[in-house]
Formats: sequence, C-alpha cells, structure tokens
Amino acid sequence: MAEPETQLLLAVGLIEKDTNGDALWVWCYPSITAELRSLLLRKCCLTDENKLLHTFVFGQYKRLWFYITTVEVQDSPALKKVTHFSIVLTAKDFNPEKYAAFTRILCRIYLKHGSPVKMMESYIAVLTKGICQSEENGSFLSKDFDARKAYLAGSIKDIVSQFGMETVILYTALMLKKRIVVYHPRIEAIQEFTRTLPALVWHRQDWSIVHSYVHLNEEEVEALKACTGYIAGFIDSEVNSRPDLYDVYVNLADSEITISPVVKEAMTMGKLHKEIGQLIVQSAEDPDKSDSQVIKDISLKTKEILATLASLTEASDGHEKRTLNSEALKQKRFPPATENFLFHLAAAEQMLKI
Amino acid sequence: MEEVDKILIHSLRQAGTPVPPEVQSVRDLTPELVVEAAVRCLRAVRPALGAPLSPLLPPGISARFRLASDLAAACQELGFGGDVGYQTFLYSSEHDTRRLLLFLVEKLPRDESERGAEPPGKSGALLRAIGARIQEQLGTPWVPPACRTARLQRLQGTGQLRPFVTCPLVLPQSGGPPELQEYFGGAAPPVPAQPPLSVGTPPSLLEAHATQLSARHDWEAEWGGPGLASRLPPQEYVGRKRLRARLRALEPLRQACPPRPQGPPPGPLDPAWLQEAFGAGGVGGFGGALPKGSRFTRTQHLTHEQDPQILLQQIQAAAETLHPSKSPEEDAGARRAGEEAALEETLARLEAEIEGCRGEVRDAQLSLTQAEAEVRQGRLVLGGREDALRLKARAVELLPDAESNMAKLQLVVEASSRRIVSLAGQWERHRGPLLAEYRHLRALRDSAQLESSRRLSEIRSLHERSRSAAAEARRKEELYKQLVAELEALPRDVSRAVYTQRILEIVGNIRKQKEEIGKILVDTRALQKEINSLVGKLERTFSVTDELLFKDAKRDEVVRKAYKYLAALHENCAQLIQTIEDTGTIQREIRDLEEQIEGETSAKPPASLDRILSDCRELREENALLAARARHA
Repeated sequence: MAEPETQLLLAVGLIEKDTNGDALWVWCYPSITAELRSLLLRKCCLTDENKLLHTFVFGQYKRLWFYITTVEVQDSPALKKVTHFSIVLTAKDFNPEKYAAFTRILCRIYLKHGSPVKMMESYIAVLTKGICQSEENGSFLSKDFDARKAYLAGSIKDIVSQFGMETVILYTALMLKKRIVVYHPRIEAIQEFTRTLPALVWHRQDWSIVHSYVHLNEEEVEALKACTGYIAGFIDSEVNSRPDLYDVYVNLADSEITISPVVKEAMTMGKLHKEIGQLIVQSAEDPDKSDSQVIKDISLKTKEILATLASLTEASDGHEKRTLNSEALKQKRFPPATENFLFHLAAAEQMLKI
Repeated sequence: MEEVDKILIHSLRQAGTPVPPEVQSVRDLTPELVVEAAVRCLRAVRPALGAPLSPLLPPGISARFRLASDLAAACQELGFGGDVGYQTFLYSSEHDTRRLLLFLVEKLPRDESERGAEPPGKSGALLRAIGARIQEQLGTPWVPPACRTARLQRLQGTGQLRPFVTCPLVLPQSGGPPELQEYFGGAAPPVPAQPPLSVGTPPSLLEAHATQLSARHDWEAEWGGPGLASRLPPQEYVGRKRLRARLRALEPLRQACPPRPQGPPPGPLDPAWLQEAFGAGGVGGFGGALPKGSRFTRTQHLTHEQDPQILLQQIQAAAETLHPSKSPEEDAGARRAGEEAALEETLARLEAEIEGCRGEVRDAQLSLTQAEAEVRQGRLVLGGREDALRLKARAVELLPDAESNMAKLQLVVEASSRRIVSLAGQWERHRGPLLAEYRHLRALRDSAQLESSRRLSEIRSLHERSRSAAAEARRKEELYKQLVAELEALPRDVSRAVYTQRILEIVGNIRKQKEEIGKILVDTRALQKEINSLVGKLERTFSVTDELLFKDAKRDEVVRKAYKYLAALHENCAQLIQTIEDTGTIQREIRDLEEQIEGETSAKPPASLDRILSDCRELREENALLAARARHA
C-alpha cells in the first residue's frame, strides 16, 4: 500500500475573502506554518483590491510546491458572506495539471456544501487511495497524471518562435545552471514559460529549479538565493533593478534577453553554440515535429556534448565518479569558447576534480 | 424750531455764554448775548481769531459797528457760507442768527465738548496726562545713550541698559502628585524671589509668558491637524508622540552602535562594548566597518599578508642581481645584458604564474560551486533516503506476516480516515460559528469606524467653524473698536441724554398730535356721513312732496300755489347752502392770508427798523458831536 504517490500531498487549505473585504485563512489540514500561510496569502490574488482574478497559480518555495485555485462565489446559499475563496494545495512534486484538476474538484465541493468536511473526505480519499469522486461526473485519479506528462506539457516551439536564435542563450544558461529571472506582468504567461524551460535540459529532468511565482519579498528572495541555479518568475518589474538575483534576465513582455556582466565570460558564445542554436530553430520550425520530438532532438545534441565531455574524463583513484581531465581537454585544442563552455559544463555536471 | 433752539442754547451755555434761564428761543436773544456767544464760540474754535475780540458789546455805536464787522469777518474766515455782516449781530433777524449760531456750535472743537461731557475727576485727568506723556515719548526718536541731552535722559533713561537675562520660573500648576501640590502651597518661593537678581524678574516673566503662549499655539495646531486624525484621547496621543520621538532619536545611535554581545552580560553595561559603540558613533573615519574591524586594521592585515610574497620576490631579485655582482672582473656591458635577460625571464615567468593562478582561482571557484551543489544535492538525497529507510524499516518489521498486517494496516487507515473526517466535522461545528462571529464583529467594527470617521469629520468641521467664528468675533471686535473710535470722533455738542430725551418728547408730542388729528378726522367723517344722509333724506322728501303736489296741482289752485312755493323754497335753500359753502372757502382764504401777514410781520419786524432809525439818528448825533469837537479843537 506504500505508494510513493500518496506521500506527495502535504496539506490543503482554504482562504476566503468575505464581504468585509478581508482575505482570511479559514481552514487547513493537517497544518501549514505561519510563514507559509502569509506567503500563500500573498500568492492567492485575494489580498489585492484591484487585481484580476487568477483562477490557477502555482509556484515553489523551499522545495515545496503550492497550487492555488481561486473561485468567485455567486449566489451560493452555503456561502453567504464570502465573495471569493481559494483552495490551496501544497505538495512535494511538480504537476500543475494534476493539482489543478484536484483543486477544481475541491472547489466545486466547497461551493456546493459550504463546509470543509466534504472537501476533507475527498482529500483523505486521494491521500489514502489516490482517487476521489467528482461532484458532477467521473472521478479524479491521481495515477492519470504522470510526472512526465507534466514535464512535457509546455510548448517549447512557442519559446523558440518567440526568441529564435536567442533561445540558445537560455539553453546555455540552463546547461551551466545559471540563474534566470523572467518578468512579465501576467502571471499566467510567466508560469507557462518557466515551466517549459527545463525541457531544454531534458537529461536532468529537474523541475525543482522552477520558481514560477516569486514576490520581491525578503523571505522569498532569501530562499531563492539559497538555490544554485533557478528559473524565477516575477510580475514586478522592479526585479530588473536587482542584479544580485539573476545571471540572465528575460523580459518576456518585450522578448528581450539580457546577460549579466558577471557571467559574460562563462557564457561566451562560440561555433558550438551557433550549431546548437541552428539545430533548435530548425527542429522547432519543422511543422511536422511535435514538442516532444523537438525536445528529443535537443536532448540528443546535449547527449552528444556530454559524451564528448565524458570522453575527457578519467576515473580518479578512490572515487567511482569520473572526473574531468583538464589536460586532456586542453590537448583536444577546441576553440577557446567551446573549451570554456565545456569546462563550465563540467562544473555544472559535477565532473570537476575537487 | 423750539427744540432746536433749546439745544442750541444748551450748547452755548456749555461754551461759556451766560444765557439767562428765561431765554428759551433764539428770538429772545439780545444783540449783546448774540455777540458774546459768537465771540466765545470763536475763541473756542480758533483762539487766534477770537482772542482780540471782546465778548462785551461796547456802549459806543461806532465801536459796536466795528466789533460787529470784525466778528462778521472772523466768521467768514472760519468758513461761514451765508450772508454775514454787522447787521447780523446788531439788527439780527431770528433766522440769520440761528444759522450763524448753529454754524459756530458745529465748529466747536470736539475735545472741548468731550471735556464737558466727561465726568470730571482725578482718574480722568491722570489718564489724560498719561496718554499725553506716552504720545510725547512715542513721538521722540530713540537716541543712543551717549548722545542724550538732559531732557532725553529724563525721557529715555540715563543709559543703564540691562541685558535681557532670564531664569526659569516655577509656577504653580494644578494636578500632579500631592507632594508637588504641597510644595506649591507652602514652600515654593514667590515669583519675584526666584531670579537670582531682582532685575531678572520682568524678563523671566516675559519669557515664561511667551513660552506658555507658543506652547498653547503649537498644541492647538497639532491637535487640530494630526491629533484629531489619530482618534486618540489627548493624553494617549501625547504619550505616543513622545514614544515615537524617542525611538527616532535612538535609531541613529542604534545604527552607529555594534550589536550588543550575546550571552550573560557581566554588568548593566559592558565597558568594552560601550567603548566600541562610542568609537563608532564618534569618529566617522572608523564608522561602518566596525563589526569587521576598522579600515585601518584591515589594511594593516592585508599588508602583513602580502609581505611574505613581496619579501620573497625581493629576495629572489636580490639573489639574481647578487649572482653577477660576485664576479666584478667581468665586462660591465655583458653584465648589464645578462641582467636584462634575467629580469625579462623573471617577468615572463611571473606573468605565466599570474595567469596560472587566475586559472586556478577560476577552477577553484567552479569547483566550489560544484561542491556546494553536490553538498546540497547530497543533503536532499540523504533526506529522501532517510524517509525511505524509515518507511522500509517499518515495512520490514511488518513483513513476516505480510497478509494480515496489510489487512490490519488497511483497517487502521480506514478507521483513522473516518475518525479524521468525523473530527473535522466536530471542528467545523466550532469553527463555523466562530468565523461567523468574527465576520459579524468585523462588520460591526467597520461600521463603528465609519461612524467614528463621520464624527471625526463633524468634529473637524466644528473646529473649523469655531475657528472661523473666532475670526469673525475678532473681526467684529475690530469693527466695534473702529466704530467706537468713529463715534468718539463724531461731534458731541450736547450730551446724548438730552438729545434722546428731546427726541423722545418730540416723538411723544407727535404721537399725541397724531391721535388728535385722528379723532378730528373721525369726527369729520361722521359729520360728512350725517350731512350726506340728510341730503339724501331731503332729496327723497322733496321728490315725494313734489310728486304729490304736482298730481294735485292740476286740480287744485291752492295746491298749485303750494307747489310753486315749494319749488321756490327748494331753490332758495339750495342757494343758501351754496352761500354757506362759499363763506367757508372765503374764511379759509382769510386765514391763509392772515398767516401770511403774520409771517411777513415776524420776518421784518418794524422794531428793527425803528432801532436802525434810532441808531442812525444817534450816529448822526455822534458824528455831529465829533465834528463839533473837531471844529473846537
């Protein structure tokens, strides 16, 4: 019975905005820390008066994923004093589609009954059995939502069509585990973009670098700074004036990519990059290829590079891990940019001798 | 006219003319009195004009004429617009005399009349004296002490200017602890005894007053603006403000000071910490970097670190230069070339070394980031594995009897989920009402806040209104003062009381007369009505009689005669009435004419003519006498 699936869910909570205009944490199970509560209150769009209603937002804080679905209450006999409410789910894994579906179901239940008890039953059912009945039709089955599906859900072709050859900058930054900050006034655009980016480095399968919804808040920025490389999404244009937060700054609204001077040396582009960039653009522009095929193409190229790098490694004594032989790298006489890239990549892939 | 004359005579009496009490109107004034009144008024109005004139009419006719002519000239100089000459005084008509006297009385100086109106007394005289003195002192310009004449020294002092030295005064206050009250009640020295020197009392008092005044102003401004907006009682507001000010004052100190060392402090204040703190606060050069050591110590530190390298290089260089110097017999040129080559080689070597170091540093940095990443990853993996281990350990424990344990676990899960759901239901029973109550209270608070802000705005508007009312009051006070000044500036010939009384009397008389007139009018109207009814009756009677007689007149001769008589009677009566009416009209005309005659006789009294004639005769006699005297002489 010890399905790994069931342990991913951490907590469920309920935030309500009432007729007094207050956004309140009214209920949670089993528990959510005060720090996280204030953070989630900030993330759910109920605290701001004038802002639009975002039906679904997700993000990450200290390796904990949160998913928030917000609903406006209209003529519900069960919820008289409530104008809006948000269902908050926290989990260990990245799977927006799954949790969006689940929170939607929970929302519907709450809207109908006005009591968290029914919601609780469904939550427990998903926690213990991985399944729950929806109010209207069908049921939610958490097995239906595979993590790989979530990884492939974004459209890499859209990114390439927006940035063209510049996509290779994003690719390089990701390969070298650099810090990427994305700005767009619309949170939905940021979420879509940031969740797709890790697909460029498919071989790592690491979505924990995505922080799709970050506020310029002290705690959040500190938590972000503790990570090595990340993709962070901001809706506040102020982030542009925080160069300590990024190596690569992506202004999604204006389709601009800026490289911070600090990493200029590490991100020097050479022939190899041009090659990769052309490959990416060609593959993405091919109308016959699906997103997953584009990802596969890029991934093949990455593997090629990694194989080159691997050929330059040697098994050092006492360690089973292979480490880069820098002499061998120099002897290969690559162009300087390529050599530099390979060296940094080795660091990112943890192949340096320490 | 009688009232005007009474007022006029009253004014003349006040100006100093001894008008006998039996004289009630201008008509009764003798030429002597008129001349005396005119001279006294002139003297009061303009002493320069009035002084040479005698208030007594001389016995000689020519002297009389001269005096009268001089008087007339003086009056014209004063600005009298009407026709004035000796005749005005000597053969005065009532009308001209009244005009002249009115003019003169109007010209009477105000202070004169005021002095007459003011209650005489010592205080009034003193006040006037003080006023005059102040006026004089304000009029004189300030002169430095050294340049003052004796008079100015009396006026502005002898030059002993004292510096404005104040000292704080302790004034009794209400409130406070009972000890303080006791102190104020008995022990506190009086204000004049408080300054160390007695000359310090007035400046100290002035300063204390100014302080209180400005404090009051400040408080009003503060309370009117942000004070009201804070919605706090005044005491609390002041307390909060004090706290804020203290925090703001402390903030720079706190920033300048290093954090206090943790752990059990040795005493109330650690001297080392204090020293550090004051060092940071006091000297700017060492500020900012205190927790990490001052800039000076850091520089020292760095130089000490570099020292060995530099030393090493120096030693190497020295060794290299030393080597060739061991063989002094060699050629100097060759030696120099060798030296050069050696130096170049060293340079190249050093550059290569630096390059290598740079690369090493970079590599080290990369290694560091990699190591960090590895550590982080390792920790994560460890956490995950620990969890997995715990789980697996439990699973292994349960493994021997897998089937039944599974079933048991299933049961436990089922049971606990049911329990949790029921617990949630129970919790909901508590949570729901509490939340509803919270929202209700919140709504109440909101509405209370709304109410309070409404009240606040009301209070503010009241404040505004009171302020504007105060301003208005002040303005009106000003206006009042101005009006009072104007009123005082207005001529006050006679005391108001007399005027008022007169006016009231006149009004009373008029009212009485009006009533009389009303009665007469009512009578007249009644009479008219009666006459009208009588005329109607007569007409009717006559016509009836006429008809009756006319009917019988054809038959009876007597009746015919009677009819004729009747007609004649009627006609005669009509004539009679007409005549009576005419008589009335004529009588009215006669009365008018009589009035006119009376007016004429009063305007040109024959007495005056007689007087003139007699004066003329007397003058001729005097002239003849003088001529004779001249002839004799």
